Amino acid sequence: MPTTDGPLLSVRDLVVRFRTHDGTVHAVNGVSFDVAEGETLGLVGESGCGKSVTNLAVMRLLPKPAGHIEGGEIRFEGIDLTKASEAQMRDLRGSDIAMIFQDPMTSLNPVLTIEEQMVETIRAHRPVGQKEARDRAIELLRMVGIPNPELRLRSFPHHFSGGMRQRVMIAMALALEPKLLIADEPTTALDVTIQAQVLELLQRLTTERGTAVILITHDLGVVAGMASRINVMYAGFVAETASTPVLFAEPRHPYTVGLLHSMPRLDSPEGEPLIPIEGTPPDLRRAPVGCPFAPRCAWRLPRCWEANPSLQPLVGGEPIVTTGPGVTHRIACWNPPTADEARIGRPLREGFVPAPPPGAAGTGAAASGTGGDVVVFAAGGDGQDGGTAAAGHSPEPAAPGRRS
Amino acid sequence: MSMVHPVPGAAPSTATTTAPSNVPAPTANGAPLVEVTDLRMFFPITQGTVFTHHVGDVRAVDGVTLSVRRGETLGLVGESGCGKSTAGRAILRLYRPTDGRIVFDGTDITHLEGGALRRMRRRMQMIFQDPYASLNPRMTAAGIVGEPLDIHQIGTTSERRTRVRELFEVVGLDPEYGERYPHEFSGGQRQRIGVARALAVNPDLIIADEPISALDVSIQAQIINLLERLQSQFGLTYVFIAHDLSVVRHISDRIAVMYLGRIVELAGSRELNERPMHPYSVALLSAVPIPDPVVESRRRRVILKGDVPNPAAPPPGCHFHTRCWLRERLGNPAECETVAPPLVDALPGHAVACHFADRVAGTPEASASADLASSLRAGGGAVGTARPGQVTS
Repeated sequence: MPTTDGPLLSVRDLVVRFRTHDGTVHAVNGVSFDVAEGETLGLVGESGCGKSVTNLAVMRLLPKPAGHIEGGEIRFEGIDLTKASEAQMRDLRGSDIAMIFQDPMTSLNPVLTIEEQMVETIRAHRPVGQKEARDRAIELLRMVGIPNPELRLRSFPHHFSGGMRQRVMIAMALALEPKLLIADEPTTALDVTIQAQVLELLQRLTTERGTAVILITHDLGVVAGMASRINVMYAGFVAETASTPVLFAEPRHPYTVGLLHSMPRLDSPEGEPLIPIEGTPPDLRRAPVGCPFAPRCAWRLPRCWEANPSLQPLVGGEPIVTTGPGVTHRIACWNPPTADEARIGRPLREGFVPAPPPGAAGTGAAASGTGGDVVVFAAGGDGQDGGTAAAGHSPEPAAPGRRS
Repeated sequence: MSMVHPVPGAAPSTATTTAPSNVPAPTANGAPLVEVTDLRMFFPITQGTVFTHHVGDVRAVDGVTLSVRRGETLGLVGESGCGKSTAGRAILRLYRPTDGRIVFDGTDITHLEGGALRRMRRRMQMIFQDPYASLNPRMTAAGIVGEPLDIHQIGTTSERRTRVRELFEVVGLDPEYGERYPHEFSGGQRQRIGVARALAVNPDLIIADEPISALDVSIQAQIINLLERLQSQFGLTYVFIAHDLSVVRHISDRIAVMYLGRIVELAGSRELNERPMHPYSVALLSAVPIPDPVVESRRRRVILKGDVPNPAAPPPGCHFHTRCWLRERLGNPAECETVAPPLVDALPGHAVACHFADRVAGTPEASASADLASSLRAGGGAVGTARPGQVTS
């Protein structure tokens, strides 16, 4: 029964699937994580990795009728949200958990003024009058740095620039002082100088109020400066979880290592080549078999094709800490890169060759010879997406049906 | 398909190249392939439906002068609406420029039309941002890649077929996929098709307009490495247009920073990174997130106030003065509001358009970028992984 002990939000073995005309999309395949009060958790991954779907499930806003929570539980202050009624959820959304989306234009109502939208939100959850709600709205707009808030209240969303709209969204999200703020790619649609403004604002306001934040992004640079803890997601699984300093200093999952080596950095030495991650993200319409990252992994072993590793602590024997800066570093990998390999970005073990897919192994040299992976890694070339990584499988279809 | 689309029938020709007469002397890394002088590209704003009248202009490109050297990569960087894409397209003559002059390999192409323009376009191609929108969904991959050959009537049918297969291999696609349609490919593969199409006619210049922005992070590096390999393999010259300074820095030899239709700074890639001389470049550099919490926590960020002004009514004088942190510090000198600063060489090969460029160096804001560049060169590490033991924070 509801308790207030433990973390603010606790997600356990969450499974979300979409039933579509093209088949079942395995969007989230057993994700567990906790968020403590006041901390900022970064969820990092590419499109289709399940980071957004996880949070839509938390808000119970999965697109209907396709999206279903098929397993697991989501406890917010002890209440299981997967079983909560629609009325309970309505009370919770906005006042306890608020959300900011990537595109503020589509999340603001284009035919209502900012005043109407803000006052409506405040009055839906608080027993205040029109005047009081309006004053609160003005105060909030001033707080997020909108000049002349009294005048701007009467504006429509299209009167604002992208950065200003995102400020309005932040003001609305924080209007009811939620305990948890979910920010889904809040700055992806913004220019880099505006992104800096918005992130600074978001960080300042949530720190002041002690609001817990789940920051969803594909940009490792954004989380590096914002989050205290990071979950790296891939194909609906958490691949690696650690505190931010540990994750960047000692990444141990091949996917995290790959991401860090495939992005150009403003401060990297000149002429340093990028090491791309080969292949493409998996088609989520196929039920996951083995490690979802195996087809693209340079470290894979034969067992990676068959068994999906669970998220395990790097160092065994100690109690697992799931929140806060002292969080246990956990990875889901059978053959993690060593510290040296993580630094270089490729396997260093002598004669190590990523295991060919099971089908190819059976047919012997011919298949592995045309596999391409070996050649690609040895050459360190620009790699191929698609074809090569899927050696042994039927040529890969396109990747529609991905959702994020 | 929004590709360069000349009418078939033009004979392949190289005869249009005339000897350069008034082209500036070749600079350090070879002769300039493209010379752009005081280019302006305004888009009219009109009112009324039947009797339209001209009420103003969006000054997308407002006096851009630059040269692209043969074999180099020139990065064009700036925020949305700064005119970087328009400048790129104008160089290809996809627009009729409002004013200015574009010289391609010694030929003035500013006013070329018809067959002559078509023949020039064989030598300059474009790669587009959106690999979903820039490929005709009704054409097969082989058809798309071979279309420029058909248009320019290069080779016989069987030669073209061989060439298309070759191009597929060059960009890392299986030639057997030629009969597939664009929707059967992933984003990264589609972008490879776009690259193959641009290569088909053996161009000298490729303008790549945000070629990786629409791709997933893990795929971006594949395309960047492909572009780099092709450049050294075929001696290509690139104009690389992007908003992401870390990508532009990685691939470019020189970088032009644009703001509201003008180039505010133009310098070598490393020089710009270590010694930015325009207040806007300083702010832009400081705003790029770096995937390393240790670096991020030490960084000093210049947060610019407000938004980019409307390009239909840009501020007078220096376009950046409304948001400039340096102007504020200098007590708002009147010059900034009245006189547009010209782009002049402050150092050899380092041009900047700011009245007070000499005051940028030494400010805490500017030294932050210098520190970042030098500390990491000393550290030698590229990825956070390179420095274990820094987990202390």
